[in-house]
Amino acid sequence: MASEVQNSNPTILNVADLPTRLGSATLSKADTDRAENLASIFPPSAYSSDWPTALHSSSDSSDGEEEREEPIDEQEIYDLISSISDPEHPISLGALAVVSLPDIAIKPTLPDVPDSSLRTVSVLITPTITHCSLATVIGLGVRVRLEQSLPPRFRVDVRIKEGSHSTADEVNKQLADKERVAAALENGTLMGVIAKMLETCR
Amino acid sequence: MSALQTFLLVVDHDKQEAKQIAERVAQDVENKKTTLIEVVQSLGEYINDDDPILRGKAVSYLTAIIKELPAKFLSRQQIQVLTTFFCDRIQDGGAVAGLETLQKLDRFNKPLAEEVARAIFEQFEELQSRSQSQRFQVYQLLNELMLSYRGALHDMGDESLVGIVDLVTGEKDPRNLMMVFSILKVVMVEWDISNHAELLFDSAYNYFPITFRPPPNDPYGITAQDLKDRLQDCISSNSLFAPHSIPSLLDKLDSTSPNVKRDALNALIACIESYDPNTVSRYSITIWETLKFEILNAQEEFLSELSLQVLTGIAKRLSEGVSQISDQLPLAQYLRPITKECNEQLREPQQKQAKPAQQILGAISSASAPAFTLIIRAVVAPLLTIYQEADGIAKQRALLDTLSVLFDSSIKVFGEWTSRDAEVAFENPLLEFKDQFSEIFGQALMGAIKEEVSFRISALKGFLRLSVLRDFFQDNEIGLFVQYLDEILLKEESVGRDDLKKEAIVALTEISKHKPRLILDITFPTFVATLPDSVEEADSGYLNTLDVLAKISVEKDIFETLVRRLLSKLNILLQQEQSGSVEYPRAILLTILYVMNQRKMEEDPNLEFYYDKIVASLCRSAAVTATSTTTSNNILSDATVLDILGRVCNLLVRALPRNKQDEIAQNVYTLFTSAAEFQPVPFAPSPSADQKRTMILSTFILAGLPADVQNLPYTTNPNMSALLTDIATRATGETELATQYAFLRHLALLANKFLPKSDLPLASDLFYTLLPPGSETNKVAPGTIHTLFWLSKGLILRLAPTTTQLLTSLLTLVSSPDEETSLTAARSFSILLRDDEILSATNGANIRLLSKQRVFTTLTPLISSRIREVNISTSSSTTPQETQETHHIKPAHLTALSGILSTITPDLVLPELPTLLPLLLQSLDLSTPHSTPVRLATLSTLAVIIRDNGVPVIDKCGHVQSLVTRLLATTAFTPANHHPKLRVDALTCLYLLAQAPTDAPALARAGRLSPLLAVKSQVVRALRAVLDDPRRDVRKAAVDARAAWLRGVDDAPEEED
Repeated sequence: MASEVQNSNPTILNVADLPTRLGSATLSKADTDRAENLASIFPPSAYSSDWPTALHSSSDSSDGEEEREEPIDEQEIYDLISSISDPEHPISLGALAVVSLPDIAIKPTLPDVPDSSLRTVSVLITPTITHCSLATVIGLGVRVRLEQSLPPRFRVDVRIKEGSHSTADEVNKQLADKERVAAALENGTLMGVIAKMLETCR
Repeated sequence: MSALQTFLLVVDHDKQEAKQIAERVAQDVENKKTTLIEVVQSLGEYINDDDPILRGKAVSYLTAIIKELPAKFLSRQQIQVLTTFFCDRIQDGGAVAGLETLQKLDRFNKPLAEEVARAIFEQFEELQSRSQSQRFQVYQLLNELMLSYRGALHDMGDESLVGIVDLVTGEKDPRNLMMVFSILKVVMVEWDISNHAELLFDSAYNYFPITFRPPPNDPYGITAQDLKDRLQDCISSNSLFAPHSIPSLLDKLDSTSPNVKRDALNALIACIESYDPNTVSRYSITIWETLKFEILNAQEEFLSELSLQVLTGIAKRLSEGVSQISDQLPLAQYLRPITKECNEQLREPQQKQAKPAQQILGAISSASAPAFTLIIRAVVAPLLTIYQEADGIAKQRALLDTLSVLFDSSIKVFGEWTSRDAEVAFENPLLEFKDQFSEIFGQALMGAIKEEVSFRISALKGFLRLSVLRDFFQDNEIGLFVQYLDEILLKEESVGRDDLKKEAIVALTEISKHKPRLILDITFPTFVATLPDSVEEADSGYLNTLDVLAKISVEKDIFETLVRRLLSKLNILLQQEQSGSVEYPRAILLTILYVMNQRKMEEDPNLEFYYDKIVASLCRSAAVTATSTTTSNNILSDATVLDILGRVCNLLVRALPRNKQDEIAQNVYTLFTSAAEFQPVPFAPSPSADQKRTMILSTFILAGLPADVQNLPYTTNPNMSALLTDIATRATGETELATQYAFLRHLALLANKFLPKSDLPLASDLFYTLLPPGSETNKVAPGTIHTLFWLSKGLILRLAPTTTQLLTSLLTLVSSPDEETSLTAARSFSILLRDDEILSATNGANIRLLSKQRVFTTLTPLISSRIREVNISTSSSTTPQETQETHHIKPAHLTALSGILSTITPDLVLPELPTLLPLLLQSLDLSTPHSTPVRLATLSTLAVIIRDNGVPVIDKCGHVQSLVTRLLATTAFTPANHHPKLRVDALTCLYLLAQAPTDAPALARAGRLSPLLAVKSQVVRALRAVLDDPRRDVRKAAVDARAAWLRGVDDAPEEED
């Protein structure tokens, strides 16, 4: 990373404004949330006296909840990659709007085979400036993070968003080429940079 | 052989002998057997010898003799002669020591000091070439002269200045440098250095930056920091250095080493603090021009912070003595380029560099009132213009944040309403913009669309700062803000995480500290008015209201009003014929409990009032309700209401004075009723369920009383035995859980706190009446088991003499062939040491520090050996019937163990780890649905062990492989791991394994690989499957664990660059 900083003054989104699951989930059930308000200031034991058997009865109560399935969705993908830091700034890709929720899509890989569990995640990244030479590195970082964090039935497709980069085609070709990606990941310096980017992942 | 010759022979190898010779000669001189002249003459042949070593020895002979002479012995003339002699011979060893001795004498004087100094300066080249310890001697001599004859050296002026600089040039030893720096500093501060400022500066600055690293076991204990501090004192000692020091220090900021930059910035801070303001002013803009890059393009957080300190320091110095603010001030000239640059950066306030610009303005404006005023004049108007023209909310928000930073500085400079320090002489320049601020922030807070939470929060925080700022808003203006907050809390729908409401509560709490009146006048009536008068009217909104009221009632007046209002609401509810749901009255009591918990009730002036209204009156009502058959208002017969009421009573009883407590003791069971109204529960023939429920109150009240309280009923005459038995019997037979719980805790409380030590056998007797020895293997009713455990809890916590027997008897219950008995007993082990609100240190319960350790160290070996027995017998036994009878015993013991583990601190666990770890691993092998809590407890114990001690501990026991395999098995989505928390906790353990401090450098040095490496591929592969778990929190934990293993467990120790 000896090169000059290319964009020294990018625009930063406020972390509180980034999309989160918490926000949208409580919006729909605001009432239950409010009832928990009081409980927030008291220990739970003050609210319902803890009978001697409480420890053992509690484990069965959540049975109903366990049945709930939570498929992997776009927000989950966003949470995985938005906390990667930019190689130039100690700021997350989410705050820099390099990745954004609407630019993430999950589709069946084989739409003609309805039973297939294979999915393709496509992520479009938007570099902060159109000639950013680090776009490839960012794309690789996103790719590595997703490949480490998603089950094998997911295919990962990372591309530069159309019109946001001067050499988008070039970069896309590089990111889509399995062998070139593999070769890049053999490069110690490059992996060092990517490991540094992934350090901040939450 | 003469004394001199003997001395010359022995001086090198026998210091003691040499000293004795000198002593003898000195005595001779003193007794006039010989004269000093003779001694000096005797040196004659050696002193002109060609061999410098011999000359040195001869001189040190003289020195040694002088050292032994009494302080007053030498005459002025003798001293003079000797001084001249030593000065002439200064290049010979021993002369410096002689001079040091001489200068300590009373008759030594200023001209002699000058002569010595001159001699040193003339021979500096020769002295420099000596060994470290000899140079040290020279510096010490010089230092002594500095201390005692500074005037003489000072009068020598430039001669001594140059002389000292020449002498110390090239010194490299840290111990000598410490002395050199302190000598130099005296010269720098006290001499007229105008002719030689640069020379003097360079003599110290040559050592910058200090890169010294003390050798291991350094006997002198000099650290790099010591040297840095002294050097920094030198650099910053004189304003005349500024032309040299400031440019050089600024140059050092080009260094690539953050440590050098840190030293340079620290030195700059010191310079600015001590140079005179005119000098600081001359360099202020140069410094800004250089430092701004450090802040705007900060590489390291601490460098930017130090740079900000430098800039703030300059503003502070330039503000000294400023009484009239004008544009001609040096301060104004300094600030001009700064505000210009910041205004420039803030034009696009949501971009990255706006943040440092904010920090710069915030830091410098907090330096002083004049600095604040100048910055506000230059910055606020442009900011407001940008705000008006801003095209998006993100931009406006960033501007509000910037203004808030300035408000913070304003608070630092002008104080808050509650600040005690003196008022500032200047008018707050923000007053000019008061109405604009009020409008902008009010508009942003209340006029923005509701979804723009973070924008509104920014506005709220800014508004809050202005409201607490001293002498800024009028009360009615703060009142308007309070009304906004009330509206947000009462009228607005929840949005997202309700961050805005949380902030609004924080703001109200903050204002209540500064302007309690406003809260009482505006917020209180509005909120209390929304509290319904009957349960039917109550929707869930009241919880919200009570929550807010509870949180803002920190201030004394507000607290008092709140409690009174709530009590009257509660009384209205209690007087209604139909009570309906108890949730609303319970919430009111909870609120009272919460606010009282926040305050020191023993200091409250209204304590008596609360006692009458709550303890006496409400308990009596509860007792009367319990007896009455007619009333249908059942609020006070609900167990959960009684529980909360009991807690409030407990709190108040503890706070009351002793005489009051003695009075209460009589009423523990009668609950402040007359005999006609209510029959106390103990010894009552057949109390109703309602009546027995009042034991909840009795228990809480009793718990609040001190152990030696007077008048406790049923405890004397002759002793507590009957009461204990009665309570125990009732506890055993009770069917209602809450009531049984009260009886059990009551029993434990009596046994623990009120039973005299001499009467302890009564309790053990009771134990063995309930569980006759030998009957442990029979079927025992769950009620009895619980009673046994609670009674034991009371006794074990005070470490009664029977503790070990009690524990052994309880453990035999777990081996019962009856499965239910075994399981109930096993689960009850968590009761023994669990924190309890009744038996707590706050309540003055008798809890010995070693009790937890005792229980753990007694039980663990027993459980371990019992499980081993079972393991052996199951593998050897052939009859299925036999296995049928004992198959539950092993899981039951593991359950008992997990119960204990969940209630003790991890540091107790560590010494027993080798015994314990196999047991924990066996717990993870359980797969029945019942085992879920056991496995959860095991996983949380493991997590703590791993987090605090890392992998080496487990590696030492040789269990890494088996632990990892079991953890991985627990992460799989199988029916056995149905409970998602099991999978999450197992993943957390795996995460911690890779994350925990493995002491990697030590391993690398020892040439060993991480013990985790062998299982890395197994873990990474297995976790890949977990990434597809149906539950999101499990997947998240799996992602973290996998990332930690991929990142944290290195394939091979990497070469250091």
